[in-house]
Amino acid sequence: MHSEPLQQRSPAAEPAEELLPTEAAPLADAPASEAEPAVAAGGRAAPAAPARKLHPLVDLYIDRSPFEELERRIERNGPWDDWGLYRMAWEAEEARRIGDFRELQSLRLLPGLTPLPHQLDTALRVLYEMRGRAILADEVGLGKTIEAGLILKEYLVRGLVKRALILVPASLVLQWVRELSGKFGIPAVAQKKAYTWGSDIVVASIDTAKREPHRSLLLDGEFDMLIIDEAHKLKNKKTGNYQFVCDLRKKYCLLLTATPVQNDLSELYNLITLLKPGQLGGEGEFAANFVADRRVAKNEEQLQAALGQVMIRNRRSDGTLEFTKRMVANVPLQLSPEEQNLYEGVTRFVREHAQAERGDMASMLSLVTLQREVCSSRDAVFLTLINLSKKVAPDSPLHARVWELVEMIRSIKANTKAQKTMELLESIQDKAIVFTEYRATQDYLIRYFKEHGLNAVPYRGGMNRGKKDWMMDLFRRRAQVMVATEAGGEGINLQFCHHIVNFDLPWNPMRVEQRIGRVHRLGQTEDVRIFNLCTTGTIEEHIVHLLHEKINMFEMVIGELGEILERLEKEEPLERKLAKLVLEADDPGELRKRIDGLGDSLLEAGRQFAKERDR
Amino acid sequence: MNPKQMQKFVLSYLQSTDCHILEKGPSHVTVKLSPAADRALTNRPYYWSFVDRTGAEPETMTFRWIFEPPGENSAPETPGLSPYMIGSTRVIQDYVYFGSGRLAQIFESVGQAGKNVMLFEEPPKGPGHPLGSQPYTAWLGANFKVGYECDMKREELYGMGISLATGIIDERFLEKLRDKRLTPKLPSNVHLLRNGLSLRKAMTQLENHLERKLRNADFGWAAEAEERRLDELARVGQYYEPMIERSATKEQAEALTARFNQRKEEIDWQYRPRVTLSVINCGIFHLPGIE
Repeated sequence: MHSEPLQQRSPAAEPAEELLPTEAAPLADAPASEAEPAVAAGGRAAPAAPARKLHPLVDLYIDRSPFEELERRIERNGPWDDWGLYRMAWEAEEARRIGDFRELQSLRLLPGLTPLPHQLDTALRVLYEMRGRAILADEVGLGKTIEAGLILKEYLVRGLVKRALILVPASLVLQWVRELSGKFGIPAVAQKKAYTWGSDIVVASIDTAKREPHRSLLLDGEFDMLIIDEAHKLKNKKTGNYQFVCDLRKKYCLLLTATPVQNDLSELYNLITLLKPGQLGGEGEFAANFVADRRVAKNEEQLQAALGQVMIRNRRSDGTLEFTKRMVANVPLQLSPEEQNLYEGVTRFVREHAQAERGDMASMLSLVTLQREVCSSRDAVFLTLINLSKKVAPDSPLHARVWELVEMIRSIKANTKAQKTMELLESIQDKAIVFTEYRATQDYLIRYFKEHGLNAVPYRGGMNRGKKDWMMDLFRRRAQVMVATEAGGEGINLQFCHHIVNFDLPWNPMRVEQRIGRVHRLGQTEDVRIFNLCTTGTIEEHIVHLLHEKINMFEMVIGELGEILERLEKEEPLERKLAKLVLEADDPGELRKRIDGLGDSLLEAGRQFAKERDR
Repeated sequence: MNPKQMQKFVLSYLQSTDCHILEKGPSHVTVKLSPAADRALTNRPYYWSFVDRTGAEPETMTFRWIFEPPGENSAPETPGLSPYMIGSTRVIQDYVYFGSGRLAQIFESVGQAGKNVMLFEEPPKGPGHPLGSQPYTAWLGANFKVGYECDMKREELYGMGISLATGIIDERFLEKLRDKRLTPKLPSNVHLLRNGLSLRKAMTQLENHLERKLRNADFGWAAEAEERRLDELARVGQYYEPMIERSATKEQAEALTARFNQRKEEIDWQYRPRVTLSVINCGIFHLPGIE
């Protein structure tokens, strides 16, 4: 009997005959058994079966499990909870209550996050106009991850999402996990072992996910939210990735891509079909209504209207975003006679040696490195020469040649470039980050600055995360200068600094862009000044010429470069092309001509890109 | 919940769970957790099962909680606070603010630790009737959360109670309890009225009462959600139906139909309006009077 347990325990005067006959047969209520409350299948929020209809359109679900617990405790005479905690449980519910269908709840939970207006707008539109299924197609660097994080957080807070699957390229898995937990307090887990799939919010590489045994596991489950980064990789509907994503059971879905159309309008159609089949009509209708040519749309206005219901594309040029200017200056300098001597020596050595090595691309490339290093510092080239001498037989003539060069290094007493940089930093009188390609140069510069009373902190790729954070902090608080060898990697935000000195330049323009991107990003309030040191009469001069004068990459819109290069680099990375040019050109005039040719093809790719983008 | 209320909330939690407060400032507290709080907050199931099995003296953790969000200057990705030592005790530092994982954990924990109560109101001080015994009525108090869900969601809370003697329902029961002095012990000179209602029936009546209220609410939101649902269904229909018709083979038609059905289920899952009624917590309250 569950009806009268109160009296059984109470020491009150009323005797046990109080059992009321009217209560002998409780209505339709099941006995308070140990039966678990209905658990939602597959993580869905509502209990499995509705109790009844509340309205012709609305089912009512009832979960009274705390009451069943009360019955059990009465039967067992306790234990009873604390009155204070009981009231606090209510207070906690009150504090978390979702009072309104629309008002954004997540922001008051994220005091550390101030989204930019376009990010907030995007999140709101996805949540309330697009009903949680959208393509986020902002240009690179505008914060698609922030937008996706906001949307996911809002659904989590509202209890509309419990399980989420985030599929990204393998290289971005950890970055996503860090962003979600650091910026949004979302406990995302990077998929490593089979059991991690059981976590509520999993970030995984799409290539892992689509393979067995993971695949079946995921296809059996269902996800309140699916997020796919770099979604343009799903453009081809015949691929396994596409089919896999199509088969996943999902409620809300976000596809992130900076390049919704790369080659073909049908790519966009396929992406949208993943999200909302029929949004652009059937395949035939789409082709008939909207496609004039593979890359050319017709009925532009209708197409844009239909796209606008599922896709948001913020652009830098929209004007709502305030990027400060980039101001670029070349700082030409003349090597000292001893340095020039060394440069000539190394160049001769490289040429002769390259003849011998013809065909072996790897060692040819490392020869060009020697030449680049001389332009940076004698320390950099010294180390490489020593390593080289260790590789060749002691009796070979090469060995002697290498040591001749080392002797030349000994004769150099000062580093012209370092002196120039010192002057530059003194005139800047503000925080500046000096980038170099070489560890040896980095060490030398820090030593050199220190000798001249300037405090500089190092930053390099090999440091672990904690050390990197520490160095960034030192730079922010204590030091005027940071000398860095690495620009890539996430989480390096140096908006408090707006001077960049390129002590030497990478030959990969993307890496130059990454350097600048550390400083010139959303949140930078000052114009960014970039100084390129440039030793006249060396290959460095050619590179600066190509990147600065010819293609003007320093002032290029952030994000475009990568997409342009991707087109050009299909066969061979630019870096290699350049190295080949350097080795194959017979004289500086010839080299300049060839480099200009390369610049022209970059410019052409850029024009092509702009044309497609503006379509 | 503003920052001040939140701080008060956390401190009462520590008190209610018998934690040992080592030191306290205007915006921080250093606390050695009680075993109960440690179990709820430190995520150490293996340690606690070890303690339970071996009967070893538990060593609970010590925290310093700072009641503010991490400053603007510290990058959010960097763990800004490191542990420090007091004597031989390691103290772990945490920012506790509305939205922090720690507070969410405490919310979760009070939900578990404050589920069911059995309480008696203390009779007014001073000599009552020397021979007379005060009659007390048992009430079932239950707190409900109502969720209105479709592809969006909002919630309402109700703290109601029903007299087990008469079946009278008080919609503001929880509110009324707030000013009362309640104790887990039966006071002297008190007798409990007999119940006219089984607990089950009382609960059903409370639910029915609330349901009647909900039935009279505005269902415009549900009609709109239904419109969206039909709209989405029509869209996938006009995509898949012609494809299924045109399909060359039976297999192809079946595959397409399966996919079509999956899309329809997803739409249903996302848009179909529903209301969930769940009990947050509930208890038996013995209050003076005959009601």
